[in-house]
Amino acid sequence: MATVLVVDDAAFMRMMVKSILQKGGHEVVGEAENGAVAVEKYAMLKPDLVTMDITMPVMEGIEAVRLIKAGHPDARIIMCSAMGQQGMIIQAIQAGAKDFIVKPFQEDRVIESVNKLLKAEGRPVP
Amino acid sequence: MNIKSNMSAIEKSGAEERSDELLQDILQALRQIVPLPLTVADPRAEDEEWQEEWGVLIGVTGDMYGRVVILGEGDVFGHLGETMFGMRLAGEMLHSFVGELANMVAGQAATLVAGRGCRIDITPPTVIAGRMHIYGLNNVVRMSVAFEGAGALQFIISRDTEGKV
Repeated sequence: MATVLVVDDAAFMRMMVKSILQKGGHEVVGEAENGAVAVEKYAMLKPDLVTMDITMPVMEGIEAVRLIKAGHPDARIIMCSAMGQQGMIIQAIQAGAKDFIVKPFQEDRVIESVNKLLKAEGRPVP
Repeated sequence: MNIKSNMSAIEKSGAEERSDELLQDILQALRQIVPLPLTVADPRAEDEEWQEEWGVLIGVTGDMYGRVVILGEGDVFGHLGETMFGMRLAGEMLHSFVGELANMVAGQAATLVAGRGCRIDITPPTVIAGRMHIYGLNNVVRMSVAFEGAGALQFIISRDTEGKV
Protein backbone atom coordinates (compact mmCIF):
# COMPACT_ATOMS: atom_id res chain seq x y z
CA MET A 1 0.00 0.00 0.00
CA ALA A 2 1.22 3.49 -0.85
CA THR A 3 0.19 6.90 0.44
CA VAL A 4 -0.61 9.19 -2.49
CA LEU A 5 -1.03 12.91 -3.14
CA VAL A 6 -3.39 13.49 -6.11
CA VAL A 7 -2.80 16.73 -8.05
CA ASP A 8 -5.27 17.91 -10.71
CA ASP A 9 -7.20 21.14 -11.22
CA ALA A 10 -10.36 19.19 -12.07
CA ALA A 11 -12.28 17.97 -9.00
CA PHE A 12 -13.84 15.31 -11.21
CA MET A 13 -10.46 13.90 -12.20
CA ARG A 14 -9.20 13.95 -8.60
CA MET A 15 -12.29 11.96 -7.64
CA MET A 16 -11.66 9.42 -10.42
CA VAL A 17 -7.97 8.96 -9.59
CA LYS A 18 -8.75 8.69 -5.88
CA SER A 19 -11.38 6.03 -6.55
CA ILE A 20 -8.99 4.02 -8.75
CA LEU A 21 -6.18 4.18 -6.19
CA GLN A 22 -8.43 3.19 -3.30
CA LYS A 23 -9.78 0.24 -5.28
CA GLY A 24 -6.15 -0.75 -5.87
CA GLY A 25 -5.49 -0.82 -2.13
CA HIS A 26 -3.70 2.54 -1.81
CA GLU A 27 -4.45 5.50 0.45
CA VAL A 28 -4.97 9.03 -0.88
CA VAL A 29 -3.63 11.26 1.89
CA GLY A 30 -4.11 14.58 0.13
CA GLU A 31 -5.35 16.43 -2.93
CA ALA A 32 -4.12 19.60 -4.62
CA GLU A 33 -5.74 21.72 -7.33
CA ASN A 34 -2.56 23.27 -8.72
CA GLY A 35 1.20 22.89 -8.66
CA ALA A 36 1.83 25.46 -5.95
CA VAL A 37 -0.53 23.74 -3.52
CA ALA A 38 1.06 20.41 -4.47
CA VAL A 39 4.54 21.63 -3.49
CA GLU A 40 3.22 22.79 -0.10
CA LYS A 41 1.25 19.62 0.54
CA TYR A 42 4.12 17.37 -0.50
CA ALA A 43 6.38 18.95 2.14
CA MET A 44 3.64 18.60 4.74
CA LEU A 45 2.38 15.09 3.95
CA LYS A 46 5.51 13.35 2.56
CA PRO A 47 3.43 10.86 0.52
CA ASP A 48 4.97 7.74 -0.99
CA LEU A 49 4.06 9.06 -4.43
CA VAL A 50 2.28 11.79 -6.34
CA THR A 51 -0.01 11.75 -9.40
CA MET A 52 0.49 15.07 -11.20
CA ASP A 53 -1.54 16.81 -13.93
CA ILE A 54 0.32 19.23 -16.23
CA THR A 55 -2.10 21.92 -17.47
CA MET A 56 -3.20 23.71 -14.30
CA PRO A 57 -3.69 27.33 -13.23
CA VAL A 58 -1.28 29.12 -10.84
CA MET A 59 1.55 26.61 -11.38
CA GLU A 60 1.65 23.91 -14.05
CA GLY A 61 2.66 20.36 -13.23
CA ILE A 62 6.16 20.13 -14.70
CA GLU A 63 7.30 23.19 -12.72
CA ALA A 64 5.79 21.61 -9.60
CA VAL A 65 7.75 18.39 -10.29
CA ARG A 66 10.99 20.41 -10.53
CA LEU A 67 10.30 22.18 -7.22
CA ILE A 68 9.29 19.00 -5.40
CA LYS A 69 12.34 17.11 -6.70
CA ALA A 70 14.64 20.02 -5.75
CA GLY A 71 13.56 19.75 -2.13
CA HIS A 72 12.91 16.01 -2.06
CA PRO A 73 15.12 14.15 -4.56
CA ASP A 74 13.54 10.80 -3.65
CA ALA A 75 10.01 11.94 -4.53
CA ARG A 76 8.14 9.53 -6.81
CA ILE A 77 5.89 11.34 -9.25
CA ILE A 78 3.63 9.95 -11.99
CA MET A 79 2.34 12.43 -14.57
CA CYS A 80 -1.36 12.11 -15.52
CA SER A 81 -2.01 14.50 -18.38
CA ALA A 82 -4.08 14.96 -21.52
CA MET A 83 -0.97 16.43 -23.18
CA GLY A 84 0.72 13.28 -24.45
CA GLN A 85 3.11 14.57 -27.10
CA GLN A 86 6.66 13.27 -27.00
CA GLY A 87 8.18 16.65 -26.14
CA MET A 88 5.96 16.98 -23.08
CA ILE A 89 6.82 13.46 -21.89
CA ILE A 90 10.53 14.16 -22.26
CA GLN A 91 10.21 17.42 -20.31
CA ALA A 92 8.37 15.63 -17.52
CA ILE A 93 10.89 12.80 -17.29
CA GLN A 94 13.79 15.28 -17.35
CA ALA A 95 12.10 17.18 -14.51
CA GLY A 96 12.11 13.96 -12.48
CA ALA A 97 8.80 12.20 -13.16
CA LYS A 98 8.96 8.39 -13.08
CA ASP A 99 6.10 7.62 -15.48
CA PHE A 100 3.61 9.35 -17.76
CA ILE A 101 -0.05 8.36 -18.14
CA VAL A 102 -2.16 9.98 -20.86
CA LYS A 103 -5.78 10.88 -20.09
CA PRO A 104 -8.31 9.42 -20.46
CA PHE A 105 -6.71 6.42 -18.78
CA GLN A 106 -7.85 2.93 -17.86
CA GLU A 107 -7.91 1.92 -14.20
CA ASP A 108 -5.42 -0.86 -14.86
CA ARG A 109 -2.90 1.58 -16.33
CA VAL A 110 -2.90 3.71 -13.17
CA ILE A 111 -2.57 0.77 -10.78
CA GLU A 112 0.11 -0.83 -12.97
CA SER A 113 2.17 2.36 -12.88
CA VAL A 114 1.88 2.78 -9.10
CA ASN A 115 2.65 -0.87 -8.37
CA LYS A 116 5.60 -0.88 -10.79
CA LEU A 117 7.17 1.98 -8.87
CA LEU A 118 6.63 0.20 -5.56
CA LYS A 119 8.03 -3.11 -6.87
CA ALA A 120 11.11 -1.36 -8.28
CA GLU A 121 11.96 -0.34 -4.74
CA GLY A 122 11.17 -3.72 -3.22
CA ARG A 123 8.09 -2.44 -1.46
CA PRO A 124 5.00 -4.62 -0.92
CA VAL A 125 2.24 -4.32 -3.50
CA PRO A 126 -1.41 -4.72 -2.42
CA MET B 1 -25.23 30.44 -24.52
CA ASN B 2 -25.15 32.90 -27.37
CA ILE B 3 -21.97 33.54 -29.32
CA LYS B 4 -21.66 36.15 -32.04
CA SER B 5 -18.91 35.72 -34.58
CA ASN B 6 -17.89 38.37 -37.06
CA MET B 7 -16.67 36.23 -39.93
CA SER B 8 -19.09 36.41 -42.81
CA ALA B 9 -17.24 34.62 -45.59
CA ILE B 10 -14.61 31.96 -46.02
CA GLU B 11 -11.47 32.88 -47.86
CA LYS B 12 -9.07 30.00 -47.54
CA SER B 13 -5.72 31.21 -46.27
CA GLY B 14 -2.90 29.17 -44.82
CA ALA B 15 -4.12 30.00 -41.34
CA GLU B 16 -7.65 28.88 -42.19
CA GLU B 17 -6.36 25.62 -43.60
CA ARG B 18 -4.57 25.12 -40.29
CA SER B 19 -7.86 25.82 -38.51
CA ASP B 20 -9.47 23.10 -40.59
CA GLU B 21 -6.59 20.76 -39.77
CA LEU B 22 -7.06 21.47 -36.09
CA LEU B 23 -10.78 20.72 -36.43
CA GLN B 24 -9.88 17.40 -38.03
CA ASP B 25 -7.44 16.69 -35.18
CA ILE B 26 -10.17 17.49 -32.67
CA LEU B 27 -12.47 15.10 -34.49
CA GLN B 28 -9.87 12.34 -34.40
CA ALA B 29 -9.27 13.07 -30.71
CA LEU B 30 -13.00 12.72 -30.04
CA ARG B 31 -13.07 9.35 -31.79
CA GLN B 32 -10.21 8.18 -29.57
CA ILE B 33 -11.67 9.54 -26.33
CA VAL B 34 -15.46 9.10 -26.50
CA PRO B 35 -16.62 5.48 -26.98
CA LEU B 36 -19.73 6.40 -29.00
CA PRO B 37 -20.33 6.47 -32.77
CA LEU B 38 -20.45 10.06 -34.00
CA THR B 39 -21.54 12.00 -37.05
CA VAL B 40 -20.21 15.37 -38.11
CA ALA B 41 -21.79 18.29 -39.94
CA ASP B 42 -19.43 19.91 -42.43
CA PRO B 43 -17.09 22.46 -40.85
CA ARG B 44 -18.00 25.96 -41.92
CA ALA B 45 -17.41 29.58 -41.09
CA GLU B 46 -20.43 31.78 -40.76
CA ASP B 47 -22.04 34.61 -38.94
CA GLU B 48 -24.27 32.77 -36.52
CA GLU B 49 -25.44 32.77 -32.95
CA TRP B 50 -25.37 29.63 -30.85
CA GLN B 51 -27.79 28.98 -28.01
CA GLU B 52 -26.47 26.36 -25.62
CA GLU B 53 -26.66 25.74 -21.88
CA TRP B 54 -23.00 24.93 -21.14
CA GLY B 55 -19.74 26.04 -22.65
CA VAL B 56 -16.04 25.54 -22.13
CA LEU B 57 -13.20 27.59 -23.57
CA ILE B 58 -9.56 26.58 -23.93
CA GLY B 59 -6.80 28.86 -25.21
CA VAL B 60 -4.27 27.61 -27.78
CA THR B 61 -0.75 29.04 -27.85
CA GLY B 62 2.54 28.23 -29.54
CA ASP B 63 2.78 27.68 -33.30
CA MET B 64 -1.01 28.18 -33.47
CA TYR B 65 -2.80 30.89 -31.55
CA GLY B 66 -6.50 31.05 -30.81
CA ARG B 67 -9.32 29.57 -28.80
CA VAL B 68 -11.34 26.36 -28.87
CA VAL B 69 -14.92 26.51 -27.56
CA ILE B 70 -17.20 23.54 -26.96
CA LEU B 71 -20.91 24.21 -26.45
CA GLY B 72 -23.74 21.89 -25.54
CA GLU B 73 -26.65 21.06 -23.31
CA GLY B 74 -26.00 19.72 -19.82
CA ASP B 75 -27.71 16.43 -20.62
CA VAL B 76 -25.30 15.81 -23.51
CA PHE B 77 -22.23 16.37 -21.35
CA GLY B 78 -23.81 14.26 -18.60
CA HIS B 79 -24.47 11.39 -21.00
CA LEU B 80 -20.87 11.52 -22.28
CA GLY B 81 -19.56 11.48 -18.70
CA GLU B 82 -21.66 8.44 -17.89
CA THR B 83 -20.51 6.67 -21.06
CA MET B 84 -16.84 7.41 -20.47
CA PHE B 85 -16.61 6.96 -16.70
CA GLY B 86 -19.61 4.85 -15.73
CA MET B 87 -21.34 7.34 -13.48
CA ARG B 88 -24.06 9.94 -13.89
CA LEU B 89 -22.60 13.34 -13.04
CA ALA B 90 -24.40 16.37 -11.62
CA GLY B 91 -23.62 19.68 -9.94
CA GLU B 92 -19.97 20.46 -9.27
CA MET B 93 -18.75 17.16 -10.73
CA LEU B 94 -20.57 17.77 -14.03
CA HIS B 95 -19.07 21.26 -14.14
CA SER B 96 -15.63 19.77 -13.56
CA PHE B 97 -16.18 17.02 -16.14
CA VAL B 98 -17.08 19.58 -18.84
CA GLY B 99 -13.72 21.26 -18.30
CA GLU B 100 -11.86 17.96 -18.20
CA LEU B 101 -13.53 16.72 -21.39
CA ALA B 102 -12.33 19.86 -23.19
CA ASN B 103 -8.88 19.40 -21.65
CA MET B 104 -8.68 15.80 -22.89
CA VAL B 105 -9.92 16.65 -26.39
CA ALA B 106 -7.63 19.66 -26.81
CA GLY B 107 -4.70 17.80 -25.24
CA GLN B 108 -5.12 14.83 -27.55
CA ALA B 109 -5.51 17.18 -30.54
CA ALA B 110 -2.28 18.93 -29.48
CA THR B 111 -0.57 15.55 -29.53
CA LEU B 112 -1.85 14.90 -33.06
CA VAL B 113 -0.75 18.38 -34.17
CA ALA B 114 2.71 17.67 -32.77
CA GLY B 115 2.89 14.67 -35.10
CA ARG B 116 2.96 17.15 -38.00
CA GLY B 117 5.88 19.01 -36.45
CA CYS B 118 3.73 21.81 -35.04
CA ARG B 119 4.01 22.57 -31.33
CA ILE B 120 1.01 23.94 -29.45
CA ASP B 121 0.14 24.28 -25.79
CA ILE B 122 -3.28 24.70 -24.17
CA THR B 123 -4.54 26.72 -21.22
CA PRO B 124 -6.62 25.36 -18.36
CA PRO B 125 -10.31 25.24 -19.35
CA THR B 126 -12.82 27.94 -18.44
CA VAL B 127 -16.28 26.46 -17.93
CA ILE B 128 -19.35 28.63 -18.45
CA ALA B 129 -22.74 27.50 -17.16
CA GLY B 130 -25.98 29.23 -18.10
CA ARG B 131 -27.14 30.96 -21.24
CA MET B 132 -25.18 34.10 -21.99
CA HIS B 133 -23.60 36.14 -24.75
CA ILE B 134 -19.90 35.81 -25.60
CA TYR B 135 -18.28 38.46 -27.76
CA GLY B 136 -14.82 38.70 -29.25
CA LEU B 137 -14.54 35.43 -31.14
CA ASN B 138 -13.13 36.32 -34.55
CA ASN B 139 -12.47 34.25 -37.66
CA VAL B 140 -14.62 31.38 -36.48
CA VAL B 141 -14.80 27.89 -37.95
CA ARG B 142 -17.17 25.42 -36.39
CA MET B 143 -18.55 21.89 -36.65
CA SER B 144 -21.44 20.12 -35.02
CA VAL B 145 -20.72 16.62 -33.71
CA ALA B 146 -23.62 14.32 -32.84
CA PHE B 147 -22.88 11.40 -30.50
CA GLU B 148 -25.19 8.41 -30.92
CA GLY B 149 -27.73 8.32 -28.12
CA ALA B 150 -26.31 11.39 -26.37
CA GLY B 151 -26.93 14.43 -28.57
CA ALA B 152 -24.74 17.00 -30.27
CA LEU B 153 -21.96 19.36 -29.21
CA GLN B 154 -20.72 22.40 -31.14
CA PHE B 155 -16.95 22.76 -31.64
CA ILE B 156 -15.67 26.21 -32.53
CA ILE B 157 -12.18 27.45 -33.35
CA SER B 158 -11.46 31.16 -33.19
CA ARG B 159 -8.24 32.47 -34.74
CA ASP B 160 -7.01 35.42 -32.71
CA THR B 161 -4.04 36.53 -34.80
CA GLU B 162 -3.64 36.87 -38.54
CA GLY B 163 -1.18 34.29 -39.83
CA LYS B 164 -1.71 32.00 -36.90
CA VAL B 165 -4.65 29.86 -35.86
